[in-house]
Amino acid sequence: MAALEVRGLRKQFGGVVALNGIDLDIDTDRVVGIVGPNGSGKTTLFNVVTGVHPATGGTVSWQGQDITNIGAHRIARKRLVRTFQQAMSFPGLTVDENVRIAWEQGRRGGSRWASPGMILDFVGLAPLGKAIAGSLPFGSLRRLGLAVALGVSPELLLLDEPGAGLNDSEAQAFAAVIAQLPPQGIGVCLIDHDMDMMSELCDRLIVLDFGTKIAEGPPAEVLADPKVREVYLGPDKKAALS
Amino acid sequence: MPMTDNSAAKTGAATEGARARDRLALLTADNASVPLPAGVQAVTAILLAALLIALPWLGLGYRFLSIAITTLYTAIGLYGLGLQFGQAGIMSVGHAALMGVGAYASAILSVQLGLGFWTSLPFAMALSAIVGGVIGLPTLRVGGQHYIIITFCFCALFVIVLTNGGTFTGSATGLDVGSVTPLPGINFDKLSNNYYLVLAALFLALAATYLIGISRYGRTLRAIRENEQLARSVGINVDLHKLGVLMVSGLFAGLAGVLQLYYLRHISPTLFGAFPSLYLALMVMLGGARYLYGPLIGAVIVNFLPEVLNLDPVDSRIAYGVCLLLVILLLPGGVAAGIKNIYCALAGGFDRQGGGLNGRA
Repeated sequence: MAALEVRGLRKQFGGVVALNGIDLDIDTDRVVGIVGPNGSGKTTLFNVVTGVHPATGGTVSWQGQDITNIGAHRIARKRLVRTFQQAMSFPGLTVDENVRIAWEQGRRGGSRWASPGMILDFVGLAPLGKAIAGSLPFGSLRRLGLAVALGVSPELLLLDEPGAGLNDSEAQAFAAVIAQLPPQGIGVCLIDHDMDMMSELCDRLIVLDFGTKIAEGPPAEVLADPKVREVYLGPDKKAALS
Repeated sequence: MPMTDNSAAKTGAATEGARARDRLALLTADNASVPLPAGVQAVTAILLAALLIALPWLGLGYRFLSIAITTLYTAIGLYGLGLQFGQAGIMSVGHAALMGVGAYASAILSVQLGLGFWTSLPFAMALSAIVGGVIGLPTLRVGGQHYIIITFCFCALFVIVLTNGGTFTGSATGLDVGSVTPLPGINFDKLSNNYYLVLAALFLALAATYLIGISRYGRTLRAIRENEQLARSVGINVDLHKLGVLMVSGLFAGLAGVLQLYYLRHISPTLFGAFPSLYLALMVMLGGARYLYGPLIGAVIVNFLPEVLNLDPVDSRIAYGVCLLLVILLLPGGVAAGIKNIYCALAGGFDRQGGGLNGRA
């Protein structure tokens, strides 16, 4: 049984079906990537799983418990934690305070970090502890977003486009940090558009299109799948003609 | 293995030119989340406490002391507002009504049941807290601006109810109470003793505000103020904390209301209507809601300004308006922010600590 099990998950915004019956099994010992074109439902999937939006149908269960629609803060307390596509922080507070707030929430039932400072060291933000979060350059803000999520002592971390807006060297450094998480018992599920990074980082890829899962498996296999190629590159004209 | 940190190096090596350019911006910035050194905090607290305790002996006269008492009980109410607005980001323009709940509860308990100051105080505070929480229920569904309107409506409704409450609330005339039940050796009919009673309550309010500010609870409130969605996603029960802080704010308001009642010995609905409520909002913004001494500074400015400048009520309203505009334009963090920034600029303490004046350097 996987740690996170999603069964027949549906989400409708008015007439728009954003998620159309998604089934997922995600374990906490590896990096799983979710890819798909814009509007395919990736972020909506995270939002529904983590309780930001209520599900229209289907179930989400985490470590054997049904967590469908129990509320975002309760899900976070069960150590299923997510980051946001827009690099989010508590902008008016210092970097120290940002991480301390999350750490104090995650301390219920024991934190994996002895102090908030350890998290800052881990993501490389320790020299900026006294800075106001809202004044950080974008790359540091991304790292702060990760630090805040890690502060909650997650067992599974859902990262929504952690590399968006970063330059190549920043994105590589970020990928290196992410790769260190599963060996420490923090599972990672991430959304990103950078296929090179994803195929290098992920043990498994899941492809979404129009709110349904169209492929799943090891990256090389998935990227060679004709259905996936069609979604990304458009329908093969020759195949259509013959 | 920590990742290499280009941005940290960049920020750390900010050029002198950039610092000079930012200097004015730093003076007006809101840096409430950067703590002053413990020694400075302690010295400020001791000096302020000494000044407030010595005030009745400075021979400033009966009128001065009366205004000082008004200032202090107003400040106690403002500390509740400072907590909900400064820390949790929930503004209210009906806060005088919440003080009124406490004042009227105490007065009615006195008139109907003969309860004195000390015995009615806990009930009055509890009722204010409950009412604060009940008015707060809609905030869980609607955003900040809507809550402001709700508080304003509550304020108007409260005055209407009091005015039409017959002998129970004393209608438009209001209610009278006796003086504070004397403690052994202390008679509160003496003005200076009444001052010390209010001052003791203010010290309690200040201590509570300080302790909340440095506690995990305070940080949780600030997290909600800064980013509600992120607060939820790190496991904070946002709804519960919002209701909680409004109830704590109600406790402060109730205490302030009862002190006001027993200082004036007579209350009427107009004391708790729209204008007094707006003044409270004005004071907390003027002084600086996020700063420990902000509400007190705001109360001092608004209560003493007409006295110092010899303004009649209409003129003073105009003066308050001008003050508010100036503060919003020049000192978004309030007068307390300006004082702290000037101190920091003179002491240069934060540069030495490597964070820049407020981390923006």
